[in-house]
Amino acid sequence: MVFFFFAAVAVIFALVVILHRNPVVGALSLVASFFALAVMYVLLDAPFLAALQVIVYAGAIMVLFLFVIMLLNLQHAEEPPTRPIQQFLGYAGSAFFGLALVYYLVKYTVLQLPPGPFLSDARQIGVALFEAYIFPFEMVSILLLAAIVGALLLSGRPGVIPSAARNPLPAGDPSPSARLGMTQGSRQ
Amino acid sequence: MIPTSWFLVLSAVLFTIGVCGFLTRKNGITMFMCVELMVNAVNLTFLAYARQFHQLHGLIFVFFVMAIAAAEAAVGLAIFISLFHHRETIDVDEANLMRW
Repeated sequence: MVFFFFAAVAVIFALVVILHRNPVVGALSLVASFFALAVMYVLLDAPFLAALQVIVYAGAIMVLFLFVIMLLNLQHAEEPPTRPIQQFLGYAGSAFFGLALVYYLVKYTVLQLPPGPFLSDARQIGVALFEAYIFPFEMVSILLLAAIVGALLLSGRPGVIPSAARNPLPAGDPSPSARLGMTQGSRQ
Repeated sequence: MIPTSWFLVLSAVLFTIGVCGFLTRKNGITMFMCVELMVNAVNLTFLAYARQFHQLHGLIFVFFVMAIAAAEAAVGLAIFISLFHHRETIDVDEANLMRW
């Protein structure tokens, strides 16, 4: 059955994400898991959001992750082992949390009444987005603009962006090029 | 027609895997991917309830969650790039100061 196959794919690749030591493998497994989730969205009668999931998540966000992993050259970086007590508490706590979640989901079986046919096409979503949800929509556009500006400011090398507000200089540090040279020297 | 509770159980399992990875890993980018996993589990819950109650609001919320996850990923990865430039590592145990 389609549901069980893709649910198994999503869960297995999610486990690969948290168990594999190489972040590139983790990112690619997460892409596979997102594709399986897109199939779930189709099964939930939301094909437009399935397309968004593939394009935005698997296409854009995960490419950003892969790009940063390869930019920082982390494929060969050795991740130090987690402390055993932290590992035990992490696994035990999340297992308890998951079991409690599933227990309450199964206990309250009110949701097992059959849902009726429900088709959500892109037109309905667009109308709702531009009528009832126009204010949150505009807020999200402002938030994305702020995220772009913030990402540019944060990821720029010191000295490349001539901004006094970003990084107040210690006294006696003359020029942006000197700052760049200082930073590179301290990195070696 | 697949029951809604199956999707909810799958969502709970994925969310738990995300929590587990976030608590046990130390690589900052892997922890970030675990956050994305949790966000997607919640999206699945939104869509399951949207179909259950024949409401469009759940779909709109998934739309907004995707936009905000994109913004969050951009800013978070920029922070990790900045951290890597200063510390040569993205091990989150090394980043225990709010200044450098």
